[in-house]
Amino acid sequence: MTQPQPAYLLKNVTHFYGDKKVLDIAHLAIAKGSITGLLGPNGSGKSTLLKLLAFAMRPVSGNIFFNGRTEYPFSPNIRSRVTLVTQKPYLLRRTVYDNIAYGLQIRRDTADLQARIQQALAGVGLAYETFAHRQWHALSGGEAQRVAMAARLILKPRVLLLDEPVASVDARSAALIRQAALAARENWGTTLVIASHDLAWLFDCSDTQISISSGTLFSTGMEIIIPGPYTPDGQTLSKTLADGQCLVLPPADQPGKTAVIQRENIHLATGPETENRYDNQIKGQIQSMHMTGKQQQIMTTIAVPEMTFMLGLDPELAASLSLQPGKEVFLLFRSQDIVWR
Amino acid sequence: MDFILEGFAKAVFLLISLDASTVSAISATLKASTWAMGASLAAGLPLGFVLGYFDFPGKRPLRTVVDTLLALPTVSIGLIIYAFISSQGPLGELGLLFTITGIAMGQTLLALPIIIAITAATVENIDPDLRLTLVSLGAAKLDIIRTCLWEVRYGIMAGAVTAYGRVLTEVGISMMVGGNIKYHTRTITTAIALETSKGQFADGIALGLVLIFIAFCVNICLSVLRKK
Repeated sequence: MTQPQPAYLLKNVTHFYGDKKVLDIAHLAIAKGSITGLLGPNGSGKSTLLKLLAFAMRPVSGNIFFNGRTEYPFSPNIRSRVTLVTQKPYLLRRTVYDNIAYGLQIRRDTADLQARIQQALAGVGLAYETFAHRQWHALSGGEAQRVAMAARLILKPRVLLLDEPVASVDARSAALIRQAALAARENWGTTLVIASHDLAWLFDCSDTQISISSGTLFSTGMEIIIPGPYTPDGQTLSKTLADGQCLVLPPADQPGKTAVIQRENIHLATGPETENRYDNQIKGQIQSMHMTGKQQQIMTTIAVPEMTFMLGLDPELAASLSLQPGKEVFLLFRSQDIVWR
Repeated sequence: MDFILEGFAKAVFLLISLDASTVSAISATLKASTWAMGASLAAGLPLGFVLGYFDFPGKRPLRTVVDTLLALPTVSIGLIIYAFISSQGPLGELGLLFTITGIAMGQTLLALPIIIAITAATVENIDPDLRLTLVSLGAAKLDIIRTCLWEVRYGIMAGAVTAYGRVLTEVGISMMVGGNIKYHTRTITTAIALETSKGQFADGIALGLVLIFIAFCVNICLSVLRKK
């Protein structure tokens, strides 16, 4: 049986800003109708990747295939089919109605326009009567982001790319934006690629997670990235956290690589381990616990200075350790399980 | 002091009685400046957009040249146009010297750098997220240009008003290229210069009032459009 064609296939894609390489992806396939979560710290290349996927710019080298064809900015095959919502919405200096109608008007698809705008606004929890004729400057940040979302959803896109869509909006707007994005997949089979720091949401809704650091992909979201800078410490390397705790890292075979550890190699305990099986014992605090529908795990976010560890825990283990948000825990792992990529 | 007050009184009379020479000067001014603004906007908007939106080799020196042309004296432009359209010039056969068209050509040269420079500066300040937004809404290249210009329309309108003000009030081009011929190429500004030199302050003040009135109307229109 042949594999279904992916929505996207990236081959040897690199991108530079000036002399600085910001993206280097040897291979990435995104399945049609899937939800892909994009994880990574600020400046890791997530937004650049999303702009390339939106065909807002060309990569410096490599190919991006969309539905099996090499595509490029302004290609008729991607216009109105691939759309991007950014963290900071830009609304045209017009009314809400005109902002939402814009995409349909430029493709001369204006049948039943008012009804469609009404529906698009309802999809993001905004009443047509109250909002349709408001000017762009008379909206709050959350309302503006929802209008931006409605302007994309009215196009019934094949691909919806979301770049930190809920990072700077209120909780209600965030919930409505998330709901509208998932409804697009459910109603039209839209492929979603979501970059967000809301890890609980990402793990809950996405089929695949991709970690990205310094422009490089770490295939799945099963790894934790330990970002630099790293300090030489005799034969090995170390990373000192802001509170003085020190991570022991294995020697790197070459400079410029990033330390990565599989989530499954990290163990959780409520106190320090005394048998010295783990040379890394890092104290952190549970920030949030969230039951995922997909994996039947409790996604637990543990904050240590400068880093966040997201671990999927068995509900029985969580109960036996009496874990709850705010509780101090120890993350135990061996330096030999850390690899350089 | 009396002659100024008398001037005002006569100005009102000239305007109310629709004095033929006054009306002719107003008409010549409006014709030449309208043609000049139309031509400079038609050429200046796309050129300004290209200069402000795209990066290309030589962009900076070109900006410097355009900015320098902002200060070009009107008599210099008059001289250049005169040299081109006088009987000895390359465009002499067209018979444009001492015509409204000739004045409009010179005034176009005067307004063009202003339109280009202000459009370029306005477009340069467009939020970079606008292009990304338009692309993600499925805009084609032409849609992007059109929408970007529409987004910065108030900045461009302010530029056009500035250019119109310069065109409306210039003397050098109208005098040199138009020749200040009564009932033909005499504009408001050349008429004011002539009447004042003859000691006819009333006529000068009347025409000055008209100039101020036109400028006032243009600004009122801009303000109304902004509110819309």
